[in-house]
Amino acid sequence: MAKTILELQGVVKRYGATLGVGPVDVDVREGEFLTLLGPSGCGKTTTLHIVAGLLFPDEGRVVLGARDITRLDPQHRDMGLVFQNYALFPHKTVFDNVAFGLRMRRTPRAEIAGRVRRMLDMVGLPGVEGRLPGQLSGGQRQRVGLARALVIEPTVLLLDEPLSNLDAVLRKRMRLDLRELQQRLGIATIFVTHDQDEAFEMSDRVVLLNRGRVEQVGTPEELYDDPATRFAAEFIGETNLIEGVVAAAAGATVTVDTSVGARYDAFAPGRSLRSGDPVYVMIRPERIDLVPERPAGEVAMPVTVAKRVFAGDVITFELRTDHGLLLRCSKPSVAEYRALAPGAAVWAIVRDCRVLPRDGGGEA
Amino acid sequence: MVGESARSGRLLLAPIAVLYLIALIAPISFFLVMSVFRYSALELWVPTVTGENFARLLGEPYHRAIIVRTLKIALLTTVGCLGLGYPLAWYLARTASVWRGLLMFLVIAPLMTGVIVRTYGWIVLLGSEGTVNTILRGLGLVDRPLKILHTELAVVIALVHILLPYMVFPLFAALAGQDPDLERAAHTLGAGPARTFLEVTLPLSRPGILMGSALVFTLTAGAVVTPALMGGKDVQMLGQTIYELTMSTLNWPLASAVAFVLVLCQLAILLVYFRIGRGRAA
Repeated sequence: MAKTILELQGVVKRYGATLGVGPVDVDVREGEFLTLLGPSGCGKTTTLHIVAGLLFPDEGRVVLGARDITRLDPQHRDMGLVFQNYALFPHKTVFDNVAFGLRMRRTPRAEIAGRVRRMLDMVGLPGVEGRLPGQLSGGQRQRVGLARALVIEPTVLLLDEPLSNLDAVLRKRMRLDLRELQQRLGIATIFVTHDQDEAFEMSDRVVLLNRGRVEQVGTPEELYDDPATRFAAEFIGETNLIEGVVAAAAGATVTVDTSVGARYDAFAPGRSLRSGDPVYVMIRPERIDLVPERPAGEVAMPVTVAKRVFAGDVITFELRTDHGLLLRCSKPSVAEYRALAPGAAVWAIVRDCRVLPRDGGGEA
Repeated sequence: MVGESARSGRLLLAPIAVLYLIALIAPISFFLVMSVFRYSALELWVPTVTGENFARLLGEPYHRAIIVRTLKIALLTTVGCLGLGYPLAWYLARTASVWRGLLMFLVIAPLMTGVIVRTYGWIVLLGSEGTVNTILRGLGLVDRPLKILHTELAVVIALVHILLPYMVFPLFAALAGQDPDLERAAHTLGAGPARTFLEVTLPLSRPGILMGSALVFTLTAGAVVTPALMGGKDVQMLGQTIYELTMSTLNWPLASAVAFVLVLCQLAILLVYFRIGRGRAA
């Protein structure tokens, strides 16, 4: 595992009497792309500003390498920050914007010219040195912002929702470009976003934040397959949650009696659950199979198609069980599923389900 | 349709155009013409073209001194307003304090009392038996009262106080309109507070500086009441000179020439304002 280069230890920030963030513990490893993901107001930008030194935490420590930088002013931190609204200096040319950080470091003039030009080439914007930010498109401005942050060769690159002011097509392209550039430079990056697709597409690891606290840290696969909390399950992707009570537990597999009457064998890795614990059974929509006839030798339940939404490559169904519960199910857009219209009766087989603690049951 | 809306738009401008014509263009044209007429003690003026009014104005040391003094006081007042107003505007634009509303009110408050009231306030403070001299003598710092009233300093002090709001509001607008992320960006790129101010905040507040300075300079150059009350006979400025030439000496041609010089100074300032202001606006 790569070395940790930046660490937030028990960081707390209050705004007056109200808690802004914390306590938050996050570690950033060498060369990794780490995303702070969460809804607006979850404290992700505050956390990023604490890393950049634009805010000082009320409690806790920020450690860079072996050095405590909790109270170090931002100008001494060597971190490159890219802003959502670009924050380019409107009165300076593109060249002067990118050169700003180098000038502050008293880099020789001749060296500045070369480095600025190379960096603008790298972000795909050669030949715009003489223009003012107002003469560039949104995408170009964001690339200048990126060049300005990267040219100082920061120890950590900080990105504060850098793509959310761009249109959809450009945003998708910038995701790939940004990820590619980050890997080429091998620079540790903290990326802030509220967009789960962005987070999953680009990140090595994701820190899911909610109301100023860390809900879960993990790879995109870990967050999707095994959410730690109800919030994590519902914020990331589509999900079906069914209330239940643990009937029996044997290692990582538990048997749950659900509110819909069915009994499930669910997978609960790393959780110590006991008989009687309140839980949710979580089923991702694509893990439900639909078959026309009752299958032999498998647990299946009869359902009726209540709603069908066609989205091109995928068809999403809302299935009503005998107990009146609605389940979401998504299937590839092929002939056998296209034929299923509302009212059709089919059998649903749950291929994989997980268990989440409910009402504070289990460990958070 | 476009033509129609453009026409009705022009129609909306008609009242103000008429007002400008009657109240600004006509009188200015009047004294432009009057300034080259000959003065006559009997008929006030005779319509013979002459350069003697301008020759007197620029040739006589007395009048030259008034022009120089007016420009000097206008410049000092502008610098004074800028020096006091910039920190205040910066604080008002940046603070999240609950006192911001009250401070804003205090900035506007002087505009709600008359110029004369405020000027008399300064006379009470700065006179030879005034508060300032009483305190200085009480502390034993001076034996005899300092002459503050009826000096250029007194005029500048009072004008700075009276015209401060005209400086603070353009500055406030320029500073409050700045994206706070710009300063954050400068910090993360390695600029400390002083460098950030010089490289980012100050250049971006230039429109406010120019606007406020142009306002204060032109208002000071044309001020009449405050210089007359604070400066008296010792601190003659162009405004009072015009007033006296028009109302008591009744030398309208010379008064017109003085007015011409004053308007020329003010136009020069406005020209500089637009040249510099537009230069980088793109």
